[in-house]
Amino acid sequence: MTIVAEPSKKIVCWSCGGDNDADTQFCANCGKLQPYTPTDYFAFFGLPRRFQLDTAALEKQFYRLSRKFHPDLYARASAEEQRWSLEKSSVLNDAWRTLRDPLARTEYMLGLAGIRLEVQSRDASDRAVENGTAKQQVVPPDLLEEVFELNMQLEEMRMAKASGSDDPETRGSLEAARQNFDAQLKASEQDLHRLWSEWDAAAEADDGSTQQAAQQRMVDLLNRRSYIRNLMRDVEAALKS
Amino acid sequence: MAYSDKVIEHYNNPRNVGQMDKNSTEVGTGLVGAPECGDVMRLQIKVNPETRVIEDAKFKTFGCGSAIASSSLATEWVKGKTVDEALEIKNTDIVKELALPPVKIHCSVLAEDAIRAAIGDWKKKNVAVGEQASAQVAVAAN
Repeated sequence: MTIVAEPSKKIVCWSCGGDNDADTQFCANCGKLQPYTPTDYFAFFGLPRRFQLDTAALEKQFYRLSRKFHPDLYARASAEEQRWSLEKSSVLNDAWRTLRDPLARTEYMLGLAGIRLEVQSRDASDRAVENGTAKQQVVPPDLLEEVFELNMQLEEMRMAKASGSDDPETRGSLEAARQNFDAQLKASEQDLHRLWSEWDAAAEADDGSTQQAAQQRMVDLLNRRSYIRNLMRDVEAALKS
Repeated sequence: MAYSDKVIEHYNNPRNVGQMDKNSTEVGTGLVGAPECGDVMRLQIKVNPETRVIEDAKFKTFGCGSAIASSSLATEWVKGKTVDEALEIKNTDIVKELALPPVKIHCSVLAEDAIRAAIGDWKKKNVAVGEQASAQVAVAAN
């Protein structure tokens, strides 16, 4: 996933010389396809950069642009136009897959704010080694404690089950654990939606510190979710075995 | 992806699995995690207050084979070292010893983090103990 935030500037149509906004896909004057310029997925779709997205508008725009960028339409066009139609079709598909999925969209939005979840932990380690200080854990300590405890309990249940006793009690506690994790994942989705609207409202109000606070809570929430998802996978494996 | 023989060996025969009393002033506990892969690792050290030598180490890791092998190796390596020597252990040493592939380097980073966190916890406790002791001395002197 490439994330490029370009300052908006005007572009001049290669064909008719007409002035267009930076993210224009087709010249407003002559309708010709414009060169591909790296941009964020929201701008590519012409949608506002918000966590809460009008998914109906997104879908409509996706199908509209899919047709209009389709390489078949450019079979007789210039080599450049053929290349742009291919590039734009490919970006369109990546953008669609990312923006329509609530979690992928959240991670993408956080990425636009400079937060990359997958390297956060590593970056914190690098900083700690550089400064000779203890690492700033990206996960709050109480969550680590909780995850550790849950893993311990799960291990006990798995061991009880593996030692031959497929007793209803063990199965029951595994089932209860599964339901608990499932409920936690559902609750976290609701929390995420609340944080989205908090951030979006703060973005309208130009309230950067509220946006940052909401972002940080989203990071915590996503980290927590990835732990719960792992625990869920382990419980399900234990129930099936 | 195949694990190296050393990873498999540590995975099958992990050294020093267990736990120590985390409330003891001689024990330092490091609990670290990598949310991206769901790993959690607890590493504990028992330090001789006189010599600052790590006399014992225990770990418990929930994670992949490489995470378990990295923490198992870490406990082996810190034993017998002073806390300052133990801080010199680098994740790259663990990578080399276990022949970890690039996608598993984060496991060794986690083990290094765990060592640093355990030592940090021990130091914090022992500064506190030192202060308390001198405070008591001060009270006694009054």
